[in-house]
Amino acid sequence: MRHGFRMSIGAHPGGVGDVNAAFAAFADTHALPADVRRSINVALDELLANALSHGGAGRDPCSVTVEVKLDEERVTVILTDDGPPFDPFARVAPDTTLSVEERPVGGLGIHLVRELMDHVSYERREGHNVVVLVKQLVVG
Amino acid sequence: MQISTRTSNDVDIVAIAGSLDSTTAPEAQKALDAVVAVARKVALDFSGLDYISSAGLRVLLGAAKKLRASGQSLRIFGLNQSVREVFEISGFSAILAVYPSEAEALAAR
Repeated sequence: MRHGFRMSIGAHPGGVGDVNAAFAAFADTHALPADVRRSINVALDELLANALSHGGAGRDPCSVTVEVKLDEERVTVILTDDGPPFDPFARVAPDTTLSVEERPVGGLGIHLVRELMDHVSYERREGHNVVVLVKQLVVG
Repeated sequence: MQISTRTSNDVDIVAIAGSLDSTTAPEAQKALDAVVAVARKVALDFSGLDYISSAGLRVLLGAAKKLRASGQSLRIFGLNQSVREVFEISGFSAILAVYPSEAEALAAR
């Protein structure tokens, strides 16, 4: 069985909360494991806040579409936006060994996405940024 | 997100429940700033926290830095497995004082 939903959230920052609420309801309906649901909630927050807020990565806010697909083995999240070309995974991982005084504020979000998801990818397709996240469901 | 505060002996405990993410971080920061400004010892009760993103981590880091300036640490307890994983990936479990229980967080000097 395959399930899923798709929603467009325009370019307003409140859209992050709308997506997280919709995903929480979807996870509830399909009884996704709590750790899978939470990891995806974090990844959605990182990528959407980045796309929707001014200056998050030095670019203007843009219109975003979120698609979530579920099958027996994995959850796939596809984020599409119409902004200028931007590969979120091109950034260098931050130094997570610095002390609390040395550490610059921020820069961790994409690192979290990479580590929490089982697979991430980016491509520029027909004038859109397309980010795909895959989280495997625990087998057995 | 729901935030409540209580005091146990000389420690101000801030309980944050629900999600601490880009949507809720500004409110959490406001609440935490108010406590950190007047309290000497601060503990965060995360037993009701569902998940935390980097926006939430930034709030914790800001509070920890302010407390560190006055010789205190930000004590945190009640992490679920997902919050613990985010702490470990980000390196925060090494720079913040995470305790397995409220009793141990409050007993720490």
